[in-house]
Amino acid sequence: MEYLGYINLGIFLALMLATLFGYIRTPVQTVLVISTILCLVVGATFKYAAYGLDAVLLMPNEFLGGIILHPITALLTGLFLAGGLKASGGFEALKVLLKFLRRSPIGLVGTLVILINLPVISSLPCGRILAAALLPLLFTFGFEGGLGILTKSQLIVLIGAFTRNAMGSCGPSPIGGVGQIAEGFLGSFFATASDGILRAPQAFSLMLGTAVVALFLKLVSQKIYPNDVSLREAPVSGTTQGVVEPEIKAPFQGYLALVIFVVSLLIAIFQPLGKMPVQSVLVAGALVMTLACRIRLNDLLEGIILLPVTAMAAGFLAAGALAATDGFKALGQILNSLVGAPFLGVAGMLAIFVQFQTILPLSCARILTAALVPVLYLFGPAQYDFLNWSQLAIVMAAYIINATTSCGPSPLGGGGMMGEGTMRAETSFIKGAYTFASMAIMAPMAAIFMKFLNLAIFQPADPRFMQDIKMIALFAVAIAGVNILLLALGSRLFHRDSPNNYYIQLAGFFIAGALSGAILAFAVFEVDSTKILQGAVGGLIAAALIGFMVPKTLSKRMTSTLSGSDI
Amino acid sequence: MTEKNDTPKIGEKRQDTSQPVILPGIHRYQFFTNLKDRGWTMNLDRVALFGIVAAMLSDVIKPLLRGNPATIYCYECRACYATQDRCPVGISLQAELVVAGRVSDYDRFIRNGGLKCIRCGNCQSYCVQYLPLPKMFAVMQQETREAMKNGVIPKETLKRALAQGLVGKEYIDDLVKAIA
Repeated sequence: MEYLGYINLGIFLALMLATLFGYIRTPVQTVLVISTILCLVVGATFKYAAYGLDAVLLMPNEFLGGIILHPITALLTGLFLAGGLKASGGFEALKVLLKFLRRSPIGLVGTLVILINLPVISSLPCGRILAAALLPLLFTFGFEGGLGILTKSQLIVLIGAFTRNAMGSCGPSPIGGVGQIAEGFLGSFFATASDGILRAPQAFSLMLGTAVVALFLKLVSQKIYPNDVSLREAPVSGTTQGVVEPEIKAPFQGYLALVIFVVSLLIAIFQPLGKMPVQSVLVAGALVMTLACRIRLNDLLEGIILLPVTAMAAGFLAAGALAATDGFKALGQILNSLVGAPFLGVAGMLAIFVQFQTILPLSCARILTAALVPVLYLFGPAQYDFLNWSQLAIVMAAYIINATTSCGPSPLGGGGMMGEGTMRAETSFIKGAYTFASMAIMAPMAAIFMKFLNLAIFQPADPRFMQDIKMIALFAVAIAGVNILLLALGSRLFHRDSPNNYYIQLAGFFIAGALSGAILAFAVFEVDSTKILQGAVGGLIAAALIGFMVPKTLSKRMTSTLSGSDI
Repeated sequence: MTEKNDTPKIGEKRQDTSQPVILPGIHRYQFFTNLKDRGWTMNLDRVALFGIVAAMLSDVIKPLLRGNPATIYCYECRACYATQDRCPVGISLQAELVVAGRVSDYDRFIRNGGLKCIRCGNCQSYCVQYLPLPKMFAVMQQETREAMKNGVIPKETLKRALAQGLVGKEYIDDLVKAIA
């Protein structure tokens, strides 16, 4: 039986890598189902030999337990509501409001910053809900969308940053977000952990990460892949100065739908009517919207995106099958054995572990999170005792933000592909920006935030409070500063169509990865030079695994089409 | 096969070599579109999708039919783990019992101390949705008892539970009978 877990883990990883590398050309759902079946067949063989037929007959129940229903149903109901908003003219109403905001003292830039951070402000249990609703709206800011107030480059940055913010907002969500899985585990020591111990570190690092993504898209991605976005620039005569912005009118139903949408979200988040599932609130909101705004049921159904639902369910099945056949136990043992490797140790192993989901980005963060958080929990006092509870909380903060943002860069139907589609970019255009920000900014920042603020116990008047705030500010400036410096330096070195671009980017990944690992080791083990060095080595290995998975070029076809005679 | 032109005509579909690269040297394929070698896998995809939908439906319908519908609403956020010492019988992973109850996973239920639960309700106050955890556990306990009587649960599981003290006194007799 002891080999069963290793065999099934091997099957799962081999199938996923073969799909990522294009050797298996089927939808990821199919591959995950195949993985499930293979794991179950192997598992059934072993279990029959060890425990008899009864154990085999109970296996379907065991792997079905891997399906987490909440994100699936929450996503469906959220998309329901977004569909209703779209059908009733809610987006037109939103455009009018945005126009009003743009003319206020905060101006266009302030309005866009608020818009980009809307997902983390509302923190819904799946980032796709708001992304599906607002990405079409963001597109209208460009020339092709009608408003023409942003250039192509600005629109790429806007859409990319917004999608980054959205595909991570499921982490700090208090209504069944991914981060709550880790908060629950920490709750077995920190009595109030499940009230949101990880929410602030995630939200803080996500906001910083969003800004770095915007910079990366501006300074790096557009130089490495200069021809892979087919958005059109406004004609020279039609630049923003010369164009009269079209008058936007919204129907009364649009405003009403927008109010219902916002009220539903507020009720779901703050639960003023008592504890109830978010799904109930959103469905009630959709029904009220249907009646009040006279929407057809079809309009609601049109809002549903099936891919994430089926991909999530298939992923959960595969994870359930692995869990039922000791696959994750085997992974825990492999990671445990890394601790003994020279130059790695606990700090190096953890630096790789926290980046695991960015290394292997699947279409929903929960697929691996539900399986790996228990493994991380076992690194604490519960089993292996590598970490005490406070250290575990710090690593958990870094791991969770990295995990929840992993659906963004996934080319297997990840949420970031919605952004790529909206900006008319090739798949993986945003992969570099998203993986870089997750690795270099978000994970270390969340760990630092957790160490200096969430775990400190003090009274408001305590002088240590200000000291800790200063430490966080110092680290934020240092971490962000180094990475911005890297981006700025890189942007000077990049040249259009130069083969060196990719290698310069890789070098940036390595430096940032090593730095990230070292900061994580410092946050966990404080000033211990061996541990910090081990963390840097682990971070470097993680960065190599992530950086080499960022493509050098995207599509030849896009280049030839855009520069050819057909356009 | 004819030689492909680098610049496709308007309306021409993408071919293998012109797919975008998602990893160094690796193309992304348009999964549901025009690849010639996709023919044989079409039915496989349909079967897989059917399997996914069937699994999701069974995950919802099973607890409905078995009188344990509240298990469907669990966020699996693990907020209930904060119960800690306030669980009089020392159950530490309550969410595991909820999931086990949803899918009738007897091994998972017993392994995590489900048969020890005295349904005091202390964990319920930690649930972010205030789900009726004691009721859910009671339904699953009853099911597990029936399963033990019918010999569905492997004896190995029962023996291990007995050895580890995972069985409450109200279930000891049934369990011993099942092992015998």
